[in-house]
Parts: sequence; C-alpha cells; structure tokens
Amino acid sequence: MAEGFLVASAAIIIIPLVTLALGYLIGYLAQRSGFCSIGGMRDLMMFKHTRLFFGYLALIGGGFLGYLLFWAIIPSAFPNFYWLLNQSNPLTPIPGAPGGLSVFSYVILAIIGGFGMGFIGVALGGCPLRQIVMGTEGNLRSLFYVLGLAVGAIIFHAWVIQLVVGILP
Amino acid sequence: MSKETKYKLSRIVKIPAFLGILIGFFAALVQALIISAGGPEAYGFCVACHTRDLVNAFFNAFTGANLGLATISIVTPVLTIIGVIIGGYIAATRNKEFKVKKAKPIIYFLYFLGGIAVMNFALLLGACPYRAALRFAYGDLIALIGIFSIAGGVAVGVLTLLFIMKRRGFK
Repeated sequence: MAEGFLVASAAIIIIPLVTLALGYLIGYLAQRSGFCSIGGMRDLMMFKHTRLFFGYLALIGGGFLGYLLFWAIIPSAFPNFYWLLNQSNPLTPIPGAPGGLSVFSYVILAIIGGFGMGFIGVALGGCPLRQIVMGTEGNLRSLFYVLGLAVGAIIFHAWVIQLVVGILP
Repeated sequence: MSKETKYKLSRIVKIPAFLGILIGFFAALVQALIISAGGPEAYGFCVACHTRDLVNAFFNAFTGANLGLATISIVTPVLTIIGVIIGGYIAATRNKEFKVKKAKPIIYFLYFLGGIAVMNFALLLGACPYRAALRFAYGDLIALIGIFSIAGGVAVGVLTLLFIMKRRGFK
C-alpha cells in the first residue's frame, strides 16, 4: 500500500479534524467569493465574465502545482501522478466511479454524467458547492437541493450502480 | 491587524482564483494524509463524493445495509462537507448576508429532484466539477472528457435560457 505522511492508526484521528478545518476554510472563502465552477462557465458563455471561470482554471492549476509540490516531498503518496513519472496509463480510472468497467464505458459515463451536471447546474443556478453555500446563506431552495443530494447518493448506490454495471461492458 | 491590512485581506478573500489555488493545495495535502489509510487518489475535495460517503456511512450504520463507500470512509469519516456548511454559515452571519429566502413548494420539489439527479450524474462521472478538475490535474484524461461535457451541458443550458428569455421578451 502507498504510504503518506501518517501511519494508518494516526490517520483515523487526524483525518476528520484536518478535513473539518479545511472544509471550514473553503466554506468561508466560498461564501465570500461566490466561487462556482458551473457558474463560471455560464458567466463566460452568457456575459463574457471571466472572474468565476478563472477561479475554476486556478483550481486546475493549483491542483497540479499542489500535487507537484507534495509529490516532490513524498513521492510514495502519489503512485499514479503521471505528468512527470509517465509510468502509468493516463486513462486509468481513479477509484470513485463504478468499478471494473472498460475504458470505453468510463468515457460514455463521463460524457453522460458531465452533460447532465452541466445542464441541471445552469437550470438551477449553481454547482453543488455553490448550492450548499447558498443554503447556508438561508436560501431554502438550496437546502432542499442538498437534501436531494443526500437521497440521490442512497438511490445511486442502491439501484443505479447495478443498472450501470449490468448494461455497460 | 491594522485597518489597511484588514481591508486588503477582505479584498483578497473575495477573489475566486485565490480559493481555487487554495483548494488545489489542500487537496494535495489531504491526499498525502489519506493515502496510507487506503483512500482513493485525487480525493482531497469533492462535494458529491464526500456527501455520498457521509450519507452512506450513516445509512449503513443505522440500517445494516452495505452501500458503496470510498475506502477511506470505511476507516474514518471525511468531514469536509460539514466544515463547508459551518464555514459558509459563519461567513454569512458575520458579514450580515444571512437572510431566509422562501419559495413555492413546487420550487422546493424541483430543487429536491434536481439534487437527486445531479448526485446521480456526478457519481456516474465519479466526480463533481471540483474532483474532475483535481483528477485532470492528477493526470486522468477521462476527467478532461468529463470537464468538456460539463461545458457542453452548460452551453446547451445557456442556449435554452437565452431562448426562454427571448420568448418572454427580454432584450
């Protein structure tokens, strides 16, 4: 197994605390800046506003620089970071999606999932993070959206995932 | 802290690009922490996946079901979303932007259905827009396809919005 900064037993205590603290920071800054990925693309296409869109580009750039920095410090924690190492297939799916499908199926799922998220995101006025932050600002619509996210997770893992794995190769 | 630095700080805090870079670094740091507990890669920040992990962990604990989770969340909870909710609420109340906005019940229902649909689409892609960006930064080209199809969905949505606005007579 890949090794990070922590041994597994210490990670059990530290990870909830660290993610809670950094989630707090992200939530605070997201409320102040109105950060939104889908909103950024929408503003760019509709009004030629680039402010939010640069936020999303900065996320990709910051992610790459962050991975590069921590990869330099502790390479064993980033076994498939391919930009420099080039030792793994860049199309290797990273865990989180339904497992054990062919590359072709993952491409199909990415196209369907991305298109649906983009369209509904524009229709409802924000990506998931923005909706959660709007909910904390007292917007009751967004709280129902967050409730829908929670129910959707159960629905997906109870039924949809079996359907998907059954249909696609 | 002097008044001037406070003012400068409040300006920086409002730049989305600053938060973007911060999330990127945070995600890399979190990966270095969670990887030895078996977490997936490029999993530092994801609204959909971390919500899924929390909800399914609770659901499994209370009903004895066995719904899917990321490896890390079987070992220990990942509380990013709780943090986001607390942070957003405190930021809104401290800056006097907290205001209860109500709507019709049908709108609530539509948003509820929208939440279900977005969660399912996001889990099909295996990433919300944020994790898609992180996965692309990590070197996964499928996530790039996902980002482009998100942009495609946004384009269709924008065209639909413009069409509706034209029909109703704006501009």
